[in-house]
Amino acid sequence: MIEDFKKIYENRHNYMKAWKAKNPDWKVLGYMCSYMPEEILYAAKVLPIRWLGGHEPQNVTEPHIMGMFCPFCRDVLAQGLLGKYDYCDAIGITHTCKHINQAYESMILHRGVDHFFIPTPSKMQDKQALPYYAGILKIFKEQLENWTGKKITEDDLKRGIAIVDENRRLMRQVYETRKADNPPISGLDSMYMVTASQMYDKQEVNKIIADVIKNELPGRKAKNDPGIRLMILGSEDDDTAFINMVENCGSSLVIDDHCTGSRYFWNTTEPGNDLMSVIADRYLKRPPCPIKDMPNRTRIPHIQGLAKEWNVAGAIVIQQKFCDPHELDKVAIVNGLKAVDVPTLYLEFDVTVPIGPFRIRVEAFLETLGSEDLF
Amino acid sequence: MITAGADVGSKTVKVVILKDGKIAGKGIAIAGLEAEGAWENAWADALKEAGISRNDINKTVATGARLKEVKGFDEEMSMVTADAMAMHKLNPEIKTVLDVGAEEGRAIKVDKDGKVSDFAVNEKCAAGAGAFMEAMSRAMQVSIEQFGEEALKSTANLPINAQCAVFAESEVVSLVHEETPRPDICKAVCDGVSDRLASMARRVVVEPKVAFVGGAAKGMGLRRSLKEALELTEVYFPDDIEFVAAYGCALKAAE
Amino acid sequence: MGIYKTEPLKCWGKAKELRLGVYEGIKKARDNGTMIVAGGTESAIALPAGFDMDFLGGEPYGASCAFAGIQDPSWNRGLMEASEAASYPRDMCAYMRIGIGSLLSDKFVFGGKYPVPTFNLQTHICDTHGKWYQIMSDIEGVPYNCVDYVPYEWETENESEESKRLKRVYMKDQMLDVIDWMEKVSGKKFDDEKFINAVNWECESTSLWAQCCMVNQAIPAVMDEKMMYSLYIIAVLMRQQKAAVEFYKVLLDELKDRAARGIAAFENEKFRMIHDSQPPWHNLQIFRYLEQFGAVSIGAHYSFSLSGGWAYDKEQDKYLPAKAPKEAGVTLKTREEACDWYSEWLLAYQTLLRSLRYSGRGKHKRIQDIIDNWKIDGMMIHLNRGCEGTAVGQMELRRYLADRGIPALTYEGNLADVREFDLERTIDKIDTFMETVGLTKIAK
Repeated sequence: MIEDFKKIYENRHNYMKAWKAKNPDWKVLGYMCSYMPEEILYAAKVLPIRWLGGHEPQNVTEPHIMGMFCPFCRDVLAQGLLGKYDYCDAIGITHTCKHINQAYESMILHRGVDHFFIPTPSKMQDKQALPYYAGILKIFKEQLENWTGKKITEDDLKRGIAIVDENRRLMRQVYETRKADNPPISGLDSMYMVTASQMYDKQEVNKIIADVIKNELPGRKAKNDPGIRLMILGSEDDDTAFINMVENCGSSLVIDDHCTGSRYFWNTTEPGNDLMSVIADRYLKRPPCPIKDMPNRTRIPHIQGLAKEWNVAGAIVIQQKFCDPHELDKVAIVNGLKAVDVPTLYLEFDVTVPIGPFRIRVEAFLETLGSEDLF
Repeated sequence: MITAGADVGSKTVKVVILKDGKIAGKGIAIAGLEAEGAWENAWADALKEAGISRNDINKTVATGARLKEVKGFDEEMSMVTADAMAMHKLNPEIKTVLDVGAEEGRAIKVDKDGKVSDFAVNEKCAAGAGAFMEAMSRAMQVSIEQFGEEALKSTANLPINAQCAVFAESEVVSLVHEETPRPDICKAVCDGVSDRLASMARRVVVEPKVAFVGGAAKGMGLRRSLKEALELTEVYFPDDIEFVAAYGCALKAAE
Repeated sequence: MGIYKTEPLKCWGKAKELRLGVYEGIKKARDNGTMIVAGGTESAIALPAGFDMDFLGGEPYGASCAFAGIQDPSWNRGLMEASEAASYPRDMCAYMRIGIGSLLSDKFVFGGKYPVPTFNLQTHICDTHGKWYQIMSDIEGVPYNCVDYVPYEWETENESEESKRLKRVYMKDQMLDVIDWMEKVSGKKFDDEKFINAVNWECESTSLWAQCCMVNQAIPAVMDEKMMYSLYIIAVLMRQQKAAVEFYKVLLDELKDRAARGIAAFENEKFRMIHDSQPPWHNLQIFRYLEQFGAVSIGAHYSFSLSGGWAYDKEQDKYLPAKAPKEAGVTLKTREEACDWYSEWLLAYQTLLRSLRYSGRGKHKRIQDIIDNWKIDGMMIHLNRGCEGTAVGQMELRRYLADRGIPALTYEGNLADVREFDLERTIDKIDTFMETVGLTKIAK
């Protein structure tokens, strides 16, 4: 059922605690950025779950993180320091941005957790990145083997790849249905689906998604009148209150470019003999976080393509306040969308957003999209 | 020996007169655009209460954000040390002092001898706790005292999360638009400000016993929120809470 | 009369001449239409040295504009505003915003129009660097490439040899590809001999700067940090040139002589401090203000390591100047060998660049090393809103120091954006800090 995604999202810790009790032979690793090579973790019987923020005020991170680091890294660190994720046996990050590095380092310094750092390349377009990253992932695999005391076989890796790829294929299928004039699933429920996939056992979530695709989506309409079709893109975003507000203002979010959305699952692995290269290649080719989109700008044509295929009238570009990676792409992305006649509304998110003032801006934006040109 | 201490704060000027180690007179006056007038008025009140004239004072030490605007003191000292000295004298068991001023918050770690072992002052993004509370009380059309009383009536937990006062204000506006009950909004503001102050205080590692001082710490709503934010069971609130820094200066002058 | 004797540095004039010479060269290249390469200076600047070219480095250029803004705010606020007017967010890297503003305003702080390069080449040393010159190229319409940089981890992490090997090969192979790319976009032949010389000189001059910093362990310190800014800049701007090596040899001799004769940088040195992160270039007077209390900043992880080569010595458990190829008995003969050695140098010995990625445990160890060996009494941490690379780990560093009873002062600011620095509040904080460590102003 579609509602299950929301249940998992809202009760993530309870779900995981129950899951852990049922799966004593598995370990759990918490990660913060969506580049984590989950295939290897599934192969090692280590469940990867993504840490997201709690979207509520906290007062524990200022001694650790400078004031102008992004709210996401602060919120995530707060969750860790407050013990919300104590059921995790380890944490791990891939290198993406320094804000996440800071949250990771502070967790190690103050909670003494087991930890894994994967020195991910940033210039993912470079042909030299593949041999490098495949080698680094092999080291990661060996570290996991030492940690769990179990060898990871080729079959284990194939099983890991199959689970994660299945999740990607299913979510892509759901996203395809949102191309319909009247999409069968809302932007909010789509966000719940992706985040539930990140924060719970994919083997369980895959069953739910497959069931939703087969039994629930056919003939379904998320709303009687979908209103104006919008795209949303930018930094990490699981601000469900904001998404809900936007979709209640006469619009539907039909596509996104978020790491809590399409960027996370867009491509699957491609067949190959060396499985470490297969896995590395998948992450190098995924729609990138802006920090990894260099020297060429591949994000612009990709996002323009999404806007066209999902037929959107406008785009909401959001960034976590102080999120450097997305700030660095701000001008290029806004101009790129303008070039294909997609107007944008740019908003900065904090741990919580002021819904009232944001509603006014969203409504004004929708009005401009809905009105006929005067001349 | 008669000494005096003065705290020329961004909103008020406070003067304390000590006679043989005991407080003989106090004066407080609101400083507007000019601190000088308030300085004179606060002095006049303190001298009157002590029943002495300015010439009877052996030494005056002063502190405060607007100290440069006034003349007529012998030495200056920092707010941090003034708070530490005063609190150590008032209660030697105090290890952490949290001073909530109009424009600045300070967390001070005091060692067993009353010396400052660490301190933190809020950075720009979290500035103006006291001033923000006042602005919000004006927006809610209640006095600052009523604002705290209103907050005490509520047990709701509404998030006001923004670090920056400007963004926090827009969150308050949201709550007003949503017709949130006034006590809940007042409590949300107290909680929000407390979270920011607690964040800063945690930089020096808060160790009991803890004292709250400064003008804004007079508000009962903020007191409750701050105590909860720092998970404290006991907090020491000195009498004459806004005179603490001035008292510290007077003690210094008597050394 | 101070406690120590002091005298001006003899090679001060030479440092000034060399620095201005770099910018004169860029202006000449702009006016004559010869090759200019732009990018960050904290990158592989020996790489384009296989061509006859002038290199325009973004960070020291940003610092120069910030400094020039003291006299003429159009070089500071003005350029920031030009960048913001074009919608670039105001909390991004302040050097980058100055660069964008300068380019958009088409003016160069050393005179004339902004020198648009033949191409931009960047090393991705922090999470902003690779994107910075992508933006510059977007505006300039010139080719852009970058070299990814994944430094070795700190010694605290026991990184495997295989991990290091992968990083070294990754960087070396990218460098080799970039050389081909540069030939293609410039239409010019890359001279291997020039490149190999540049690698040798870069390693040598950065090692020499580290040796200069070692001399500062002397009491009294022979350099204060403000002096260092004028001295390390030669390594920042032109470490791949022979003139830099020669300059640092002369400087090292002079510093050793000063140490032997007990010549101080600051005559009243009583309280030795180090600083963290770049300073607020627009308000360097805060360093002079410290002196009123007998305190002096005698260095920083930043100033020591920005263009310094430091190697960890396991036996002594210390960081010591790294050995340049010749000193290590290595002769670089081919382009491949030079790229390999150069990669190792940048990955292993450029410890500042390492701290931009990895904060916390490793950086704490290096700071403790400086505190112990340079006999430091306290630290001043600039919570730098203009450079998040150096800001990463700062709050944890503060905690680390406080837990060990090492006095530390934090002040918020921005290395280049004067609008984010409050001099009065900073002075207040310094006053409070000095009071808490028992220092009072020295009577004049």
